[in-house]
Amino acid sequence: MGNNMNDKNLQKPDFLGYGLGLRTDHYQEILEGDPHIDWFEIISENYMVDGGRPLHMLDQIKERYPLVMHGVSMSIGSTAPLDMDYLAKLKKLAERVQPKWISDHICWTGVHGVNLHDLLPVPLTEEALDHIAGRVKQVQDFLGTRIALENASTYVSFESSEMTEWEFISELSNRADCWLLFDVNNVYVSAFNHGFDAMDFIRGVPKERVVQFHLAGHEHNDTYIIDTHDNDVCDDVWALYAEALKQFGPVTTMIERDDNIPPLKDLLVELEMAREIGAKTLGKFEPAGA
Amino acid sequence: MVGLKELQESFQRAVLTGDSKILDEISPSDREKREVLLGVYQNAYRLNLIEFLDNEYEKLGLLLGDDGYAEMVQAYIANTLPDTPNARDYGRKLPEFLREHAPFSDARILGDMADFERALNHAFDAANDQPLTLEDLASVPPEGWPDKIFAPHASVTRLDLKTNAQGIWQAFENEIAPPAINDGEEPDRVIVYRQDLRSMFRSMVYEEAMLWDELVKGVNFAGLNELSATYGGEEEAAIRVAGYLKGWIECEMLRA
Repeated sequence: MGNNMNDKNLQKPDFLGYGLGLRTDHYQEILEGDPHIDWFEIISENYMVDGGRPLHMLDQIKERYPLVMHGVSMSIGSTAPLDMDYLAKLKKLAERVQPKWISDHICWTGVHGVNLHDLLPVPLTEEALDHIAGRVKQVQDFLGTRIALENASTYVSFESSEMTEWEFISELSNRADCWLLFDVNNVYVSAFNHGFDAMDFIRGVPKERVVQFHLAGHEHNDTYIIDTHDNDVCDDVWALYAEALKQFGPVTTMIERDDNIPPLKDLLVELEMAREIGAKTLGKFEPAGA
Repeated sequence: MVGLKELQESFQRAVLTGDSKILDEISPSDREKREVLLGVYQNAYRLNLIEFLDNEYEKLGLLLGDDGYAEMVQAYIANTLPDTPNARDYGRKLPEFLREHAPFSDARILGDMADFERALNHAFDAANDQPLTLEDLASVPPEGWPDKIFAPHASVTRLDLKTNAQGIWQAFENEIAPPAINDGEEPDRVIVYRQDLRSMFRSMVYEEAMLWDELVKGVNFAGLNELSATYGGEEEAAIRVAGYLKGWIECEMLRA
């Protein structure tokens, strides 16, 4: 993996281009069709298994495409102890996959031995910041690499919060010396839900820490938006993506579709849209090794 | 205002039980009531668990029908907290739950179907043990055979189903009308395994199932022959055992 923590010059991983989440529905088409996809993101937990078809397919796709690992159960923000058994399995998978980076979310998933299987919100406090930064350092020491942390969509905010979300994740990335996975859709969703300006978020995050964008769809419920990742990217999020590109420059980008999975050709259309916006905003730029 | 630990405990209680104390810590929103926004997490919790069970126990859902399945899912969720990082593991205790809790325990078909589906799921991503081959056995010297011990492949599960859950599963899989539920005295001795990356299964006759079970306990080749001779007569016992062994090897049910 190309992010050595001993490198004090903070050399970001190479730009990978435009990618998709790897979904079982598309395995055969990917292996037989050689579609125009530069890289894939896998859900780590789906491949933290002992054997069989999932790892067989993963090994084949790994031969053809760069991969990134994205998890949902690290629970980096929890006050429960880090799950070292989970981290050991994650590390074992990373040794097999050799991902360009490993990511998860700034959230918690449960305490007292429970995993609620959701990305639960953290209060934006100095206490939480200090706590999470310490855990990120522990995880990175164990894995031997920087991880990337994603801004999760949130539906509630806390009275105890002392700073904005962008101040929180900026400080977190600097204190923990980690990367950021910038989910443009989640910024849009949280901005709507909490009444802040999404551009303040974009301007407030350190450019040198952002290694990946997520683009996704959501469900609008008039008074709040739910981050369902089961819909096409909407026009407002495409516009925000263009603004994010102006702020951050070329960033490895993917379309993230977790539910209501459409045919691969439909996702390729969305991916092409991302390429076009990238080219129109910043000029054409090629992934490393292209 | 509470610290991080207490806030998370309170939030988790809200999700699991509907306790509303956490609302004191949640900021008011200009757009929507706090209870509704908290409800997004509470609803997501239940919906996610239902989806996990749907993915792992599809045929059980067909067997129960929508209302029956909804009742079962609610009862299981109320009884079983999710405690593993992998969502697929959430339903792993469902067969035992169905056998131990009324009214589900009154219908043995439910526990059987859940057991069968769990075994198929297990076979799907069980460890990649190296399968034993006939070529491996060719290298065993004659004097080594009596003490030869075999080991099951990690993907294998042996079930004694009290009902015709296997046949009903196959009907659902083939999208044809399932047979009537048969809850008989004689068990359906089933073996589930993985071959060429596919989950497979079949019934076994009594002798084969008996010998397989003893093999798993560590009984050596000589012992398997003695058992077969005791059960089915000495004549041709060795041929029968060799035949079963060859079949298990060809189906990748034994590990090297």
